Amino acid sequence: MIASLWQAAVEAFLSGSFLYPLAFVAFALGTLVPAVLVVVSKNIVHAALWLLVSLASVAGLYLLLGAELLAAIQILVYCGGIVVLFLFAIMLTPGVGDPEVRVHNRQLFWGFIAATLLAAVALHLLSSEPWRVVSTANLTDVTGRLAEALLGPYVLAFEVASVILLVAMIGAIVIVRAEPRE
Amino acid sequence: MNEIPPIQGYVIISALLFAIGLTAVLVRRNAIAVLMGIELMLNAANLNFVAFWRYHGAERMEGQVFAVIVITLAVAEAAVALAIILSVYRRFRTVNVDQINLMKG
Repeated sequence: MIASLWQAAVEAFLSGSFLYPLAFVAFALGTLVPAVLVVVSKNIVHAALWLLVSLASVAGLYLLLGAELLAAIQILVYCGGIVVLFLFAIMLTPGVGDPEVRVHNRQLFWGFIAATLLAAVALHLLSSEPWRVVSTANLTDVTGRLAEALLGPYVLAFEVASVILLVAMIGAIVIVRAEPRE
Repeated sequence: MNEIPPIQGYVIISALLFAIGLTAVLVRRNAIAVLMGIELMLNAANLNFVAFWRYHGAERMEGQVFAVIVITLAVAEAAVALAIILSVYRRFRTVNVDQINLMKG
C-alpha cells in the first residue's frame, strides 16, 4: 500500500505534473529563506536551528534530483550530526551567544556588497547560458551504482576519506583536551 | 520523465546559497556562525554536483561520489574547527573573530 503510494508519488513527480514544480519551489524557498535567517538572526541558537531547516530542504532537492541515498546521508550527517555539534559548541561557549551582543562586524556593508555582486554576476552568467540537457536520465538503481563507483574506481578516495575522519577525530580530541598553560 | 524543471533552477539556487553563505562568513562576528556560512557554501557546491550529475544523463556516478566525499570532509572540518573554537574560547574567553587579534601587527 505504502509502496504503491510511493511509486505513484514518484511517477507523478517524474511525469512532470504540477507536484514537481510545487515541490521544487517549496524546497527552493525552504533552502534560501532560512539561509538568509542564518545570516541575520541575532540569537546564535536560532541561527543554528534555521541552518537545520535549510540543510533539510537541500536534502529535499536531492530527492527531487533522484539521489535518494545522498538525501538520506544529508539528513543523517547534517541534521543529525553537524547541527547538533554546532549547538554543543554554542552551549559550551557561554556569553558569546548573548543576543545583546552585536552579531555583525564592521564589514557588514562591504560584505553585503561583495556577496550581492557575486550573486549578480553568477545569475547573469547562469541565466544567459543555454544549457544542453540530456533528457534520457538513467535513474535505475542509483544507490547500487553509487556503491559500485565508491568501492570500484573511487575506492582510493573512499579509503582516504576514512583516514581523514580518523585523523579529524583524534585531532579534535587532542585540541580540546590540551589545557592552556598559565 | 522528460518534463523536469530546467537545470537553471538548481544552479541559480546553488549560486544564491553560495552568496548567502559568503555573506555569513564575511559579516558575522561569532566564529561558529562563520562556520555555518562555510557549511552553506559546501552545500551549494554539493547541490551543483548533484544537479549536473542528474542533467548529464545520470549514467556515470562521479557527481554523487564527489558529493559524498565533500560531505565527509565537511564533517571532519566541522569537528576540527569546533574543537579549535572551544580551545580559543578557553584562551580568550570569546569567539568573536574581530576580537581575536593576537597576531595583528
